[in-house]
Amino acid sequence: MGLLNPGALVFLALVPALALAYLARERASRVTVSSVLAFRALHAMRRERFGGRPRFSWTFFLELLILTLAVLAMAEPYVVRHENPIAVVLDNSAQMQARTASGGTRLDKAKKELGAMLSTLPHTTAVTVYLTSPEPHQVNATRLALSQARSVVGEAAATDAPLDPGALVNLLTELSSDKRYAKVIFAGARALAPPVPPGITAITVGDPVQNFAIASFTLRRESFGAEALHARITVANFSPAPQTLTVTISGDGKRLGSAQSNLEPGATGAVEFPSLASANVYRAELTPSDGFPLDNVAYATSGSVKSVSILFVSPTPDDARGLASIPGVSVTTVAPDAFSPHELSSADVAIFEYAVPKEMPSVNSLLVMPPPGDPVFGFQTVPVKSAQITGWKTTDPLAYSVNFRLLNPNAGEAFGVHPWMAPVLDGREGALLLRGERQGHRFVATGFNLFPYLGKENLPMSILTLNVLGYLAGVGANSGGYRTGQPWLVPAGIETVTLPSGEKVAARPGTLFAQDASQGVYKLAGTGGKTTFRAVNFSDPGASDLLSAAPLKIESHAAAQKARTVTEKTPLTIYLFAAILALLALEGFAVYRRRSAVGA
Amino acid sequence: MAGLPDELTPSFLARLEDLRIRTRQQYAGMGKGSHLSPKRGSSLEFSDYRHYSPGDDFRYIDWGLYGRSDKLYIKLFKEEEDLLTYIFLDASASMAYPEGDRKFQSATLIALALGYVALASGDRVMLRVLGGSGPQPAPVFMYGRPRIVELAERLRAVKPGGQIDLASALAKELVAIRRAGKCFVISDFLMMPNVVTHGLGLFTAATMDVTAVQVLGGRELSGQGLSGDVEVVDAETGEQVRVSMGARERDQYHQTLLRLSREIKAFCLKRGMHYALYTTNRSFQDFFLRAVADLGLAH
Repeated sequence: MGLLNPGALVFLALVPALALAYLARERASRVTVSSVLAFRALHAMRRERFGGRPRFSWTFFLELLILTLAVLAMAEPYVVRHENPIAVVLDNSAQMQARTASGGTRLDKAKKELGAMLSTLPHTTAVTVYLTSPEPHQVNATRLALSQARSVVGEAAATDAPLDPGALVNLLTELSSDKRYAKVIFAGARALAPPVPPGITAITVGDPVQNFAIASFTLRRESFGAEALHARITVANFSPAPQTLTVTISGDGKRLGSAQSNLEPGATGAVEFPSLASANVYRAELTPSDGFPLDNVAYATSGSVKSVSILFVSPTPDDARGLASIPGVSVTTVAPDAFSPHELSSADVAIFEYAVPKEMPSVNSLLVMPPPGDPVFGFQTVPVKSAQITGWKTTDPLAYSVNFRLLNPNAGEAFGVHPWMAPVLDGREGALLLRGERQGHRFVATGFNLFPYLGKENLPMSILTLNVLGYLAGVGANSGGYRTGQPWLVPAGIETVTLPSGEKVAARPGTLFAQDASQGVYKLAGTGGKTTFRAVNFSDPGASDLLSAAPLKIESHAAAQKARTVTEKTPLTIYLFAAILALLALEGFAVYRRRSAVGA
Repeated sequence: MAGLPDELTPSFLARLEDLRIRTRQQYAGMGKGSHLSPKRGSSLEFSDYRHYSPGDDFRYIDWGLYGRSDKLYIKLFKEEEDLLTYIFLDASASMAYPEGDRKFQSATLIALALGYVALASGDRVMLRVLGGSGPQPAPVFMYGRPRIVELAERLRAVKPGGQIDLASALAKELVAIRRAGKCFVISDFLMMPNVVTHGLGLFTAATMDVTAVQVLGGRELSGQGLSGDVEVVDAETGEQVRVSMGARERDQYHQTLLRLSREIKAFCLKRGMHYALYTTNRSFQDFFLRAVADLGLAH
């Protein structure tokens, strides 16, 4: 036992002050009575006291005790306990689902060996249990008794989230250097690279397992504005022999097709599924089966294929009407006077028709017939009565598949030489279409009007428009869904999320959703019955390689080598404060009772 | 009745009129009354015979006895006279303490009620005040019910104060009293028991019929209000005693007072006196009507 702040004991000098205060208060009060006859016997009793010392007042001793406890609390006493607490780190990542040669999973084996090791420890050992997945965390807030720890270990289940080796190394390094633990036991698939810090005991259950994996499953549109989706599935062969892998894809439970890929050991390949039939949820399954079935299945949702959001800034907003008919495109119109740069934050592409922003836009932008002399872009234009195209760059993606002979732009303007935008289409008086990149964004300027978008009614102009928008938006934004164990933001309007297990949990928009440790499709439900699907996949080629996982390197600290028996200082201040509060309550109650009795 | 304290309500006075003073002896009075007197008189109660003398009233000759003895005897009857009632009220300083207990006011109420019982019964009442700071009332008997107002006025004029030695004060009063009768001594009797017994013993020696009425304060008896270290000062002698009052001490003090009261009561009963104890936390009317026998009264 000791004191962290022994200097506070000087306040014990207050004790004599308290005693003096009591002595002063103990001066007798003077009362006139009818006769002192009956008091004489009491007076005699008083004289009988040894030394005539002051009358015993238990409240004085109570307050003396409170004062002493308060001073002691200020001195921050503690007791020293010598213990041998240990930390147990159990790897419950997805890789632990892999089946071993004995038939069970790696996790079963790890729990069995860990339980056997715990049973050899003294029954008084305090244990702190950590699990590694979906992120390293302590299972209970307090230390557990050995029997409780064995129970917790026995109930641990593997998640579908891959192991984060960096986080695990950090945890083991931290625990091995933590003086509160005499020993750290790690049970998992990954071996520890020598030299292993002396405080760590490793139970390695990572026997090699041959595995075939779906490394990624992405969906995109065939082209900008196309209705049909295109699936690309990456597969990997983590086995010692060449293997033909078959991928079967189904949509909403209906088989859509299959493809094969021949892969050498350790090789990765891709299979493509163009023009997929429409479905909400797509499921890809890899055969043949192996010892780690989790990564033989992957999911993707059509709702996750990103649509392109266009902000149309124009004094004639009707020109934007036709754009909304393009699949995967949403349009918001705004007048130039009402435009604010903040509105660009929610747009993928901005179109400025007959207008130029006052500062460089923060998104890819199309400038249709910009007015001359603006300070941002510095276009120099010449009005033309007929914007006849005289030349174009055949290799430019903007010119792809456009029959310029049939393209008859209306009257417009021709651009002069621009400092950082290059001409794509030329006319008699100058360039009719420029494109360039600035501050990481793409910009296209046209001297004639592409709008309104008329679709098949004006095919050359429509193809050029789609080329321009495809260039600005990126062709067919794709999505591979989300990874198990990686939290994602709950979208606006979502109230509940249904997990792949069928469990429904409440969600708050704008917050991180972390209950995504299971692979599958999550159903997001919002106001008005609106539902969307979100695919969460294991999809980690590094984690799928169960043949050759690199050992983890744990830094060794000097402190870790010294800590064998842990000396822990347990502060007693909180108990002292609790005792003080109890004594104050007792005194208050007693004083109340005494005053009631005297006043009655 | 106008001029009387509020406690003496008309209904209470009506109930007092049903009471009369009871004595264990017969005392000669000063006039006709309702109490048997040792004197021969004309009441209906036979007393004795005597030989006929010429001039005696023939109506009192016992002819039956003449037939048996052939001698003339005259029947004698007892006299019925009023009772001389003395009320001794302790007005020493001790009766004023504790201040909240209204001991002296209670004592005057008892004196007044006893006086009313006597006056309503046709007896004579003399008030004597022991100690006190006011003028000593004149040693005269009051007679007749209306004199209760005068008695109340005399009592109202008395203020407690001074120090008395009950034994000597009663001895002095006994010398002044020429005729025996009923005697009420109203006091807190908070003094040495031998002083009380000596004082009261003088009256019994003088063939007085005595009732001792002890008046104690309710808080005084229980020791309430006294806590911690207290320096108590005797209201009469000024003697100071320093005590430490706790629950145990309060109980000890209470038991001491009760023991003193028991000693006085035992002495009174042993010497044929009446004794009543009134504590001021009780209802006065309730006490008076319940303690009729203890007060030496009868219906």
